[in-house]
Amino acid sequence: MGLWQQLFGKRKARGPKILSLADDLVISEREQKLNTKLSANLTANLNTIVDLFGNSADFTIRHFKAGPDQLPGAVVVLEGLVREDSIKDIQRVVLVDSLKLDLKAAKPKAFYQLIKDRLLPNYDLKELDTFDRLCENLSSGHKLLLFDGVDKALDCGVEGYKSRAIEEPSAETVIRGPREGFVESIRTNTSLIRRRIKTPNLWIESFSLGNLTRTEVNMAYIKGLVSDQLVAEVRSRLERIDIDSVLESGYVEEFIEDDPFTIFPQLARTERPDKVAAGLLEGKVAIFTDGTPFVLITPINLWELLQAPDDYYERASIAAFIRNLRIFAYWVSILLPGSYVAVVNFHHELLPSELALRIAATREGVPFPVVAEVLIMELTFEMLREAGIRLPQAIGSAISIVGALILGEAAIRAGLASPAVIIIVAITAIASFTVPAFDLGISGRLLLFLFIMLGATIGLLGIQLGLLMLLIHLCSLRSFGTPYFVPIGPMVVKDWRDVFIRIWWWGMLKRPHLVGTRDLDRESPGQMPRPESQDEGDDHEDN
Amino acid sequence: MKITKIANRQLLFILFMMRTTVTIAFLPVLTSADAAQDAWVAALFTFLGSAVIVILVAALGAKYPKQTIVEYSTALVSTWPGKVVSAVVLWALFTIAATDVRIYGEVLVTGFLVQTPLAVIIGGMVFVAAVAAWQGIEVIARVADTLFPLFVLMLVLSLGMVVPLVEIRNLQPVMARGLLPVVRGSITPTAIAAQMLVLTMLIPAVTEPNRALATALWALAGSSLVLVVVAVVTVGILGPEQASRSVFPFYVLTRSIEVTEFVQRIEVLPMFAWGFGLFIGIATLIYSLAYGLAQVLGLADYRPLVFPLAALQTTFSVQAYKDVFELLRFFKPRVVGPYILAWFILSLFPLWAAHFIRTVWGSRRQGGSDGQGRVWGQILAVFSFASYRPLCDYQHRLLGSA
Repeated sequence: MGLWQQLFGKRKARGPKILSLADDLVISEREQKLNTKLSANLTANLNTIVDLFGNSADFTIRHFKAGPDQLPGAVVVLEGLVREDSIKDIQRVVLVDSLKLDLKAAKPKAFYQLIKDRLLPNYDLKELDTFDRLCENLSSGHKLLLFDGVDKALDCGVEGYKSRAIEEPSAETVIRGPREGFVESIRTNTSLIRRRIKTPNLWIESFSLGNLTRTEVNMAYIKGLVSDQLVAEVRSRLERIDIDSVLESGYVEEFIEDDPFTIFPQLARTERPDKVAAGLLEGKVAIFTDGTPFVLITPINLWELLQAPDDYYERASIAAFIRNLRIFAYWVSILLPGSYVAVVNFHHELLPSELALRIAATREGVPFPVVAEVLIMELTFEMLREAGIRLPQAIGSAISIVGALILGEAAIRAGLASPAVIIIVAITAIASFTVPAFDLGISGRLLLFLFIMLGATIGLLGIQLGLLMLLIHLCSLRSFGTPYFVPIGPMVVKDWRDVFIRIWWWGMLKRPHLVGTRDLDRESPGQMPRPESQDEGDDHEDN
Repeated sequence: MKITKIANRQLLFILFMMRTTVTIAFLPVLTSADAAQDAWVAALFTFLGSAVIVILVAALGAKYPKQTIVEYSTALVSTWPGKVVSAVVLWALFTIAATDVRIYGEVLVTGFLVQTPLAVIIGGMVFVAAVAAWQGIEVIARVADTLFPLFVLMLVLSLGMVVPLVEIRNLQPVMARGLLPVVRGSITPTAIAAQMLVLTMLIPAVTEPNRALATALWALAGSSLVLVVVAVVTVGILGPEQASRSVFPFYVLTRSIEVTEFVQRIEVLPMFAWGFGLFIGIATLIYSLAYGLAQVLGLADYRPLVFPLAALQTTFSVQAYKDVFELLRFFKPRVVGPYILAWFILSLFPLWAAHFIRTVWGSRRQGGSDGQGRVWGQILAVFSFASYRPLCDYQHRLLGSA
């Protein structure tokens, strides 16, 4: 029994980690301090703040005496988070300009009020009276003014930390379209959207996520276009998040998606402001996270992930062709190697005889079964791809040489792989790179292995059954309430104008039917350009 | 149980694919055995017969738009007879699904996966269908939405490629032997329209139940059109003799054609179409079966029943028929006709009778009519049940003689 207990019994639950009495005291003391209000005593206040920040290296206090009465005060700031010039400016205002005020033995409170109302009009001022708000604002780059005899701190929003300049997003390049990309600062990112959508109906709600990181997360939508239900749903899902840190939008994504176990992305992420703006204009919700250039868009469907921004800027007929090519390529990247294995293993009779002979001839002397051959080559390619991403760009070209020469050429020379398989792997790779959304492309590459196994066990029947399973899964997925496989399953024929083709802009009369339910009309109909007056002119000349 | 809704369009797609798969697989041989070169006329008769069946099933269902047959049979003929009626319908669904998937398995084993055991093919297909059924009718309907265009495209492609090869001589003379063989040839395909019994479970799930009858008839019309074309093509190319002798004529047909050097062996197209259609059919059947059984047993959720039923389905499908010839014998008009007729005698006829009596009673005297109507319904139900035994004997005699 004892052994049984040891092998399978539940471990005795250990009690909560025992802290020493001193640790306990420190923690409760800190919490207490955070919740207390500021006192009227400057030294006491400063001591508390110093205590809370533990004398951090970037933490700075500058003492001064202001006004004709030499009222003691202090500027508290975390260096590197504020605009350099603002420190000097505020000090000049408080020290020099305050002398000009006609203050005859004014009480500290009145003096403080005057400074607040009359001397600092250039700054975004707030009054703080608790230490936790004070600490939070300090960490987000605000500057605090404290005066002796005043139980409030004056908060000047002068955050000015270093941020990357707006560049072209490297992961989502376009031939035609704006070259701006999001950066790591959330205000810059929302401003990029504001610049594109100037209606006041563009609303941005703010959330603060992460108990320790206090990351700012914003939810943007166009009031009146978006369905209120969707906004309420996103809001409630965001509010439900309880985590210590949010370092990237991926954290948020995993908390709010509908099905956590699927390999398909249910929120689109992008670095491109034009893409976010387009999504908002279709009645979607965008979620910005501070500290990352990736913005989430929801709800989406699978077909939207196969669309690139170019599709909407390029000529319609070209866009339609490229779009279909991409859809085709996505399915090729999933199904091709599996089908090859199935056909070569089980159904050679389906191939035209010359092709069958050709494949058989190239497979001559290859020591592996087809499945092993395809699996090895696909795995190798996956490794190459991953290595190519992680390497510095300077060495990146070395990888392509290794891939092309050693794997392609030498494997065939050595008779370890047949040229047919190399071609299949190459086509699959090219096809999967046509998918604009990286996460969707990878989902295809994962499925590929499943289909290879299915094709190797029960041939084309396996491929078909796998395809059906995939369809069942895709049709059962939802992205914030809208079906993931719309408009194909459920069939919404009116929305096909923006799936298999991209209708001309003057024909794009409606927003997507299941998303933009509030206001479907995009434009007034009948705007097809018909240059009638010109025609008449031509006629006259002919006559 | 949570109510999920599907659009009438989706019901149309489901019924069309369900019926057409059997059509392209199996029916030409059945009709042409008796009707010979007039198989296409038999196909037209099939449409009429199936329409009667659809009206029987759907019109009653549309009168109780919020209830499945399990619920309204209880209301019409009281609890226990009602349960027996529902059980007959469920048995019908079970048998149809098992037979459908068996036919598919037989074709694959003969033509594609010669060494694969039948149970693997059938089990795989039933498992995937059960997954869809577990997800619910909404998901099945969405998959049907997705597959329908592909299905039609594949049918059109495979039929379009063979149409030029039709020799009109093979179809002549028209109706030379009179009407009787043609009618006899249409019995089996009509009997297979018992698939439409899924409507008894699906009508409450449709957004517009009062239009369900029209939807079902349109689906039937579409699949009948395909049946006529397939009958013309098979008999017109293979000739009446070979068409009736080969087991899966449409498959044989597509296998033999060679459009150009490169485009040959297009039997993959109809096989994939068939697999898609069969999947929709089986998934719908398993869903209806599990949903109905859960209601009969008074369960809160049908889902726990799906996979056990799927396992039973697989076993039954493998065990019920010894080989493909027994399957064909089962489809002889003399066997399958009375058998499927028995389903209707045991399930829908008493319900219709009870419904009529109820409406007549209800219009004569208002109030308190329910009890008497129900008594009459029960008597009729017992009468119908009593005819079950002789019917079975009849069927056994036929099986013996076949």
